[in-house]
Amino acid sequence: MEKVIIIRYAEIHLKGKNRGYFERAFAANMEKSLKGIRHEIRRQSGRYLVEKFDDGEVDKIVKKLTKVFGMHSLSVGYQVNSDMDEIFAAACEVSDKFGSFKVETHRADKKFPLKSPQISAAIGGRLLDYNKNLKVDVHEPEFVINIDVRENGKTLVFNKFIKCADGMPVGTAGRGLLLLSGGIDSPVAGHMIAKRGMKVDCLHFHSYPYTNMQARQKVIDLAQILSEYTCGIRLSIISVKEIQEEIHKHCNGAYMVTILRRFMMRLAERLAKKDGDQCIITGESLGQVASQTIEGMTSSNSVIESLPVLRPLCGFDKNEIIERSRAMGAYDVSIRPYEDCCTVFLPDYPIIKPKLEDVIAEEAKLDIERLLDSAFATLEVKEY
Amino acid sequence: MIYLDNAATTKPDESCLEVAAQYLKEKFFNPSALYAEGYNLHIELEEARKSILSNIADEDEYELIVTSCGTEADNQAIFCGGRRGNIVTTAGEHAAVYATVLEAGRRGVEARFAPLKADGSVDVEELLKLVDDKTSLVSLIHVNNETGAINDINAIAAAVKAKNPRALFHSDGVQAYAKIPFRLSKDIDMYSLSAHKFGACKGTGALIKRKKLVISPYIWGGGQERGLRSGTENVFGIKMLELAAKKSYAGIAENYKKIRAVNNKLWELLDKDLFRKLSPENGSPYILTVIAEGVRGETILHMCDDEGLIIGTGSACSSNSAKRYSRVILACGVENSLADGVLRLSFCRNTTLEEATQAASILNRIVRADREMMK
Repeated sequence: MEKVIIIRYAEIHLKGKNRGYFERAFAANMEKSLKGIRHEIRRQSGRYLVEKFDDGEVDKIVKKLTKVFGMHSLSVGYQVNSDMDEIFAAACEVSDKFGSFKVETHRADKKFPLKSPQISAAIGGRLLDYNKNLKVDVHEPEFVINIDVRENGKTLVFNKFIKCADGMPVGTAGRGLLLLSGGIDSPVAGHMIAKRGMKVDCLHFHSYPYTNMQARQKVIDLAQILSEYTCGIRLSIISVKEIQEEIHKHCNGAYMVTILRRFMMRLAERLAKKDGDQCIITGESLGQVASQTIEGMTSSNSVIESLPVLRPLCGFDKNEIIERSRAMGAYDVSIRPYEDCCTVFLPDYPIIKPKLEDVIAEEAKLDIERLLDSAFATLEVKEY
Repeated sequence: MIYLDNAATTKPDESCLEVAAQYLKEKFFNPSALYAEGYNLHIELEEARKSILSNIADEDEYELIVTSCGTEADNQAIFCGGRRGNIVTTAGEHAAVYATVLEAGRRGVEARFAPLKADGSVDVEELLKLVDDKTSLVSLIHVNNETGAINDINAIAAAVKAKNPRALFHSDGVQAYAKIPFRLSKDIDMYSLSAHKFGACKGTGALIKRKKLVISPYIWGGGQERGLRSGTENVFGIKMLELAAKKSYAGIAENYKKIRAVNNKLWELLDKDLFRKLSPENGSPYILTVIAEGVRGETILHMCDDEGLIIGTGSACSSNSAKRYSRVILACGVENSLADGVLRLSFCRNTTLEEATQAASILNRIVRADREMMK
């Protein structure tokens, strides 16, 4: 009797001729996420089996695999020879200790002497004798013992289905650059786009010494949380200190954030093109703060030359975003109380609906190209 | 590098490190062991305790419980000394006392907090008003760690005892021991100290208590420290504490004078258009707290760090106002807008006039530039 993890994939089964491409990416991502843990992954007619791991690492493996996009669900169970005594022994192992149950059998191996209902009845009967705390309820059971008789002479026996991340394998839908601020929204935006199969790189802007090391570490921690879903992540960090100082010195304070965002977009596009990212992803949500109005977005979007800007959170309420942030495990890090660069030099009354021509007129007071070059020179890159 | 954050911690003294190495490498035995090597250590520790104690108190009247830090000593004093009625303390305590008294309040004892004066010292009249016949413990910091204000604990303890002779008096002396020339009067029942504030190592603190005072242990176990603080003795830490204290006390009066001069020099050189002094004139010379108006303390801290000057601040770069401003600085009556610019410059006995001069010039330059920027 060997403990195994049975993996079922999500949307990949809808794919036609290029299914192999998605499956290979999926398998490679699973391998990446289990790096450093002893295991073997085997493909078996429409599903994957993880085998040959140490029993003590099951929880760790499950936790990691539930974060791999493209996976619909997984079950921890046993692989035994297709023999009724061995199947029964495995059924006893996976069974709950009390409650109502039923047994469901799939028989792919048509040479197996018993038919599916007969297998279910026989194993169910033996389980009832074995544990007096169990009872059968075929309509609303509290748990289901699943028996899967395979064609290779092996049978899989398992109980619970563990819901996984769904989506498409990361790396099958191009590459994008996520603007990662350190707040609640941007990691969620990255998570959503990665879920559709995009490989995500991150870009963070800081303004040390106006912000501190803790704020920086917070972003590193967020990138690491995101990297568990994206099978590794590249984090680029750029200082916008000088840009903020120059805006503060020369421009109308109310335009601080509006102009700063235009600089950030320009830097993002420059980095994206250098690194081969095909789009820019932001955590903007329509109307959430003064700079995320449609006028604000128009202003920041207008400096982008060619790349699309994805804003997956645009239609979300803050509560919905928080819910997703909690679900992906980023919330506790996101709410650490350190300032990101946006709150330094914050005006008392920011401009809410900037007119593009006014913004451009304000911005004209700055040497834009020089500031971009000097900010870009502060680029640091980390891989997680 | 000029290090002016000695109130946070000090650089370990070289000779202390040599002593530590000796006790870690060669005399590593358990002092509770019965063989000669162990027992000899036990004797050495007894002598070290006496030596640490004798710097500040009468060895016949007081004893020393070695703890893992100043905070643990404060916790023991409060939880084991203030078990009924009310505990009176101040708004200017270090968190080691403040948060502990709050917790004692949640556990059923009434917590009372006396207000501060503008320099960070306690308002004695208000403190005494809070003391009544139900008071079981009064805890008052000796030297305020954020402003350097000195509370005259001997006199205040006497006044407390006059009002309620049964109330115990504890003082957190972490910023005072080995720095301020001072001896405990008989009215002080417990006194905490911490080793790493004067050249010894982190991980060692102590609670000095009157011998006749019976308090219960805070940590139970094998009965070390006369049953009052179990756990295998931190031998090298205690020996470092002993030596660092001995070296500090050997020249405590001269150092006090010398550091007063350093403190005065630094303040004299700071541009008065940029800085306001928060520390009192007669406070601990080892702490000079100033307010740089119109700038953020933490930004200045980072900028100074980049220039090789390490200082402390009273505020953190946090958008959460509860965590942003120092509770103690606000209790001194400083407004939020000014509390942002609090800088704490703190010295050790080795700080030189030259370092003060350089520090002043860096601070003047950086604060002037940043204030210009923030306009």
